[in-house]
Amino acid sequence: MQTLRRIIMRASCLMALGSGFASHAVYAEVPPQDVLATWYRMTLELVRHTPTYTPPVASRAFAYLGVTAFETVASGSDDLQSLAGQLNGFTAPPTREADQIYDEGIVLQAAMATSVASFFANTGPTGQRALASLTTKQNAKAAEGVASDILARSEAYGKAVADHIIAWSLDDGGAIIENMGFPYDYALKEGPSHWVPTNLVRQQQFPLLPNWGTNRTFAMPGGTTCPVAAHPDYSEDPSSDFYAEAMEVYEAKAALTPEHTQIARSWSDDPMLSTTPPGHWVSITRQILERDDAPLPLQVEAMAKLGVGLADAFIGCWDAKYKYDLVRPITYIRRVIDPKWDPLLNTPPFPEYPSGHSTQSGTAEVILTDLFGEDFAFEDHTMAPDGLKPRIFTSFRQAAEEAGLSRLYGGIHFRSAIVVGLEQGRCIGAYTVALKTRSE
Amino acid sequence: MLGHAFALGFIAATISCATITAAQEMPAVPTFIEEGSTAGITSVYDGDWEYMVGGGVATFDCSGDGRADMLLAGGKASATFYRNESAIGGALKFVSEPSGLELDAVLGGYPLDIDSDGITDLVLLRFGENLAMRGLGNCKFERANEAWGFDGGDAWSTALAATWERGATWPTIAIGNYLNRYEEDFPWGSCTDNWLHRPNASGTNFAPPLPLKPSFCALSILFTDWNRSGTPSLRVSNDREYYKGGQEQMWHVTPGEEPALYTADEGWKPLKIWGMGIAAYDLDFNGLSEYFLTSMADNKLQRALPAADGSDVKATFADIAFKAGITAHRPYTGPEKKPSTGWHAQFDDVNNDGMVDLFVAKGNVDAMPDFAKEDPNNLLLQRADGTFQEAGDLAGVASMKTSRGAALADFNLDGLLDLVVVNRREPAQLWRNTSTNAGRWIEMQLQQPGANSDAIGAWIEIKRGDVVMRREITVGGGHASGQTGWWHFGLGAETETQLRIIWPDAVTSDWYPVATNAFYVIDRDLAPQVWTPQ
Repeated sequence: MQTLRRIIMRASCLMALGSGFASHAVYAEVPPQDVLATWYRMTLELVRHTPTYTPPVASRAFAYLGVTAFETVASGSDDLQSLAGQLNGFTAPPTREADQIYDEGIVLQAAMATSVASFFANTGPTGQRALASLTTKQNAKAAEGVASDILARSEAYGKAVADHIIAWSLDDGGAIIENMGFPYDYALKEGPSHWVPTNLVRQQQFPLLPNWGTNRTFAMPGGTTCPVAAHPDYSEDPSSDFYAEAMEVYEAKAALTPEHTQIARSWSDDPMLSTTPPGHWVSITRQILERDDAPLPLQVEAMAKLGVGLADAFIGCWDAKYKYDLVRPITYIRRVIDPKWDPLLNTPPFPEYPSGHSTQSGTAEVILTDLFGEDFAFEDHTMAPDGLKPRIFTSFRQAAEEAGLSRLYGGIHFRSAIVVGLEQGRCIGAYTVALKTRSE
Repeated sequence: MLGHAFALGFIAATISCATITAAQEMPAVPTFIEEGSTAGITSVYDGDWEYMVGGGVATFDCSGDGRADMLLAGGKASATFYRNESAIGGALKFVSEPSGLELDAVLGGYPLDIDSDGITDLVLLRFGENLAMRGLGNCKFERANEAWGFDGGDAWSTALAATWERGATWPTIAIGNYLNRYEEDFPWGSCTDNWLHRPNASGTNFAPPLPLKPSFCALSILFTDWNRSGTPSLRVSNDREYYKGGQEQMWHVTPGEEPALYTADEGWKPLKIWGMGIAAYDLDFNGLSEYFLTSMADNKLQRALPAADGSDVKATFADIAFKAGITAHRPYTGPEKKPSTGWHAQFDDVNNDGMVDLFVAKGNVDAMPDFAKEDPNNLLLQRADGTFQEAGDLAGVASMKTSRGAALADFNLDGLLDLVVVNRREPAQLWRNTSTNAGRWIEMQLQQPGANSDAIGAWIEIKRGDVVMRREITVGGGHASGQTGWWHFGLGAETETQLRIIWPDAVTSDWYPVATNAFYVIDRDLAPQVWTPQ
């Protein structure tokens, strides 16, 4: 027997879900928005604290988690349109039983718990402990006061959707990560223009994930869909464009202001020490959605599109990186300009061109602008736990441009890599923007 | 003077790294025989998540016979004390017996003579309240928290270091703490404060502990006079798995002053690793210690860099692990090549060739599939040119068990360092060094009247041919494992040598001529006295 309090709660939850839910999806004991927020919070922590979660690997997880959340909610909504048939290799997920009642909070809880546990099955003992604890508490919270048949049906359905998407993920080329993403063997290309190791970490003497560019993409046709123009020809001639770009990086380090340093550190997004670049954009989006108490359809639409776009961005970027295999600024500057030079940031252990963070940010810019609009102001508190002040932006484009430029201040990218990275990201993001997520 | 010596040593090391040819001959490989079961060792470091770290061993002589007795942490189970009854030069034999140290929730222990009564005491690191255990003699101990004003707190304590600040009659003990164990769902970023237990105003007890803010989930800490200033600093190795905004740390701990972190202006540069253990030794004979930091995948070997004008050293450390061949980043034997997980580390000379070697205990945190499950312990032998050669498998100590703490100690007083390793969920292992190809050696104990009877903070210098070998006498570092007793040096073919002591107050002894293959007790202001094992 439902109490008046529960009926009132459910009514309020339904209002919070937003419009358009199918008639058979009648209520949610726990608001699905809360479920989504909790699991994204957990995911951002696990990305930081799971050693295989380098940025490309993180982007892949964000894509599948976003699609999982979206499909779970879309299956009970008249307003949302499944991505099945739109994303490469993605077939229609299981459907709900006709004329049966589902608890939307439980469905989403089951789907997210299943999905996060799968994609982070390799996290350490503390992550496993946290996952188990959170799952138990969230399950209990969502199930409180729900009839047993609805509970069972909702849990089973959420899990089925997650399982379907997990199965889809297994043959995309990115499911197995060995040696934290660093190949055990690799032939470095000969010649001064090509990437060479930039640190003295034995594990990082070969570059990260050299085949990531061949992974199955999500929304765009393939890794080569958005190629980038060639970088300036490698040259050590002081009159060359290449030398000029290197000198710009060198001089930028010498002229760093506190603001420049703050920008570089705010977007540093090092793996295992942060949420990574895709996680940073997910964090920004989560902050906006929760700040604005956004309706559930928009929340899952945003998480799916952003995840898909960011994953495609790394595949496209990695395709280009290993095509050009360009040397990093630290190598060139020490070789040609100043043998004692150090950049502000740690140089990532893979080729320079184009800039991965720039590609990520260009993609995020076009997707989030499409969802939230031009000149959408927001604050970014992602790095607050690490003691950094929030960044304030007037638009996603401004944030993306700053993210790109941060790599020059940090001394890890030449300007060309940033410019073409942003352009490549915008090209890639357009494929995600074109996805149909709303019913006609 | 120091700067000049440093510069020469640095250049020599650079040259040696650049010309690694003839000097890269394989060092003499020692032979170890595992004798844990026959020696009577059954202790298991047990427990689940709460004991994924820790698992230390303390070695110390509490029976007065010169043999190193030991306490093995038990985690969820009780710690076990073992009296050493090994025959001189013979098989290892230990007998467990009640000592008062049989307590649960012990992660590790460090021996030191807190009250300077000449009897070794212990501090036990625990999941919960830490305990100061007063030695009563004949291997009996009693709780002394209240008697000594030692606030054991209620944390997840994982590291310890001790020093006697200049002029102090009571030790200063730093405790490293891990994350907030009550945070279940989102424990990351919940590192709890480390503590500095300084003497009270009268110097007869501990004052309330001072929190060291910020703290970043320390797993190893060490008081060390890294720049030979005469005032040890506190190095802290932190586990980046749990901190946010953290890094490795080094604190000024200046008598009478609040602790203060080294800053960028002093040369300190951020390093962020899964810090788990610290080992220190002057590897290049320049008077300054190098620091080996264990982690996951690559481990680090740090050398202090000279200031730009060469006049002094800055608090800037270069990672030379790659050049030294000491990254020990993945298994070197066995079926796996996934990254390794390093814990306890210790420099000592296992083949007595005069070049200290490095032992590293390895073991998966707990079913982490991306890291080696069968992760052999390392025994890295130092070559004459300062590079290292792996020989754990050849020496017989490449255990695939999940190891944590360890100690190299001469348990049977034959001049060869033996080895004990604590394993998670499996019995500890004990190896006897049975090498027949080892060089000559010398072992010594330091004693001084009054406070700090074991002369913690002293430096031992001993000549081997043209070089002066040095080691700093410390309490701390490793992984939850500490030692007192004999300090061991290998001396190659040297039959005679000279040694001197730089005592903690910087008073330097004369150079004393001594014969090798002998034990010495060195009382302050007295010439070394030969000690003969009985």
